[in-house]
Amino acid sequence: MTDDTQALAIGLRRRDPDLLDRLIEQYQQRLYRYLLFLTGNPALAEDLFQETWIRVLERGGQYNGKSKFESWLFAIARNLVIDASRRKKISSLEDLGDPESNTPYDPPDERASSILQMLVSRENEKSVQLSLLKIPPYYREVLLLRFSEELGLEEIAAVLATPISTVKSRLYRGLAALKTAMTEGAA
Amino acid sequence: MNENLHERAQRLLAESVVEGLRPAEVTWLREHLAECPGCAREAAAAQNVLQALRTVPVNVPRDLAARTQLRVRLRTQQTSPAANGSFWLWAITAASWLLGVFSAPLVWRGFAWLGASFGVPKLALEFGFVLWWTVPPLLAAAIILHQKALTAEWSNKS
Repeated sequence: MTDDTQALAIGLRRRDPDLLDRLIEQYQQRLYRYLLFLTGNPALAEDLFQETWIRVLERGGQYNGKSKFESWLFAIARNLVIDASRRKKISSLEDLGDPESNTPYDPPDERASSILQMLVSRENEKSVQLSLLKIPPYYREVLLLRFSEELGLEEIAAVLATPISTVKSRLYRGLAALKTAMTEGAA
Repeated sequence: MNENLHERAQRLLAESVVEGLRPAEVTWLREHLAECPGCAREAAAAQNVLQALRTVPVNVPRDLAARTQLRVRLRTQQTSPAANGSFWLWAITAASWLLGVFSAPLVWRGFAWLGASFGVPKLALEFGFVLWWTVPPLLAAAIILHQKALTAEWSNKS
């Protein structure tokens, strides 16, 4: 446990409002990006962003400071995405925890892609980001956690509550799926 | 150069970004990429994709952080005072219960004196004595229930 994460755990247990303000500022880009790419829906991503921080406030006492704060934060956000997808019957997100299910994946519709396109700021990176939306969410999320959020394999396993071997296999398959999506997009 | 070498290069390229490579594998891959333009192109393309993933820029709605901070602060205010209020309410209730137990004989003597002085029937005195002890906890229970209802209403609104 580092001094930083220990101080963070104590602050969260005390529900320190200044600490929460700082964390919201610090993680706004990363958390919103994760939620946006996981849901493909800006309005839902905004709702879940706010809900995630309310959960952080209410369950701050559960963070023990032994793991990275962002792993804990992303795990909360991920659970909220799963809850929301069950509530709103978003079929593509319901499969988030079950890549072995044989349900065919429907990529987000054109409208969702175009909304996302407006939010993505750099032209030359759009193709990668739009290809990302075409691959199943359980691959998309490991790619985001690994390469956008730069979490380690153990940290991703903690977020997903799955073994490291599963994380590795999803990363390999995710990279292959992204490559295929990009090739199809370029054709 | 046969097909297996290219396949090994592809596999090592993927492994290098997922799990990392051993020094010998790094050396082999570097040498292969130096000799094979096709695999070198693949490696460069993969690096570009990963670079794009690393820097995925999204425009966060301008006031999202401020709105969230406000909502979190509101929730903190809603829950903390209620929790403190409950603590004091329970403390006062406990103190009043103890006081009630120890002062019961005196209170009953007071009621008996009132009955004797004003000619109040014994049944009315007993009813008054029961009310004397039951009204305060009923009020306390009503306050607690009201607070819980208010907190639930606030939670639903926010």
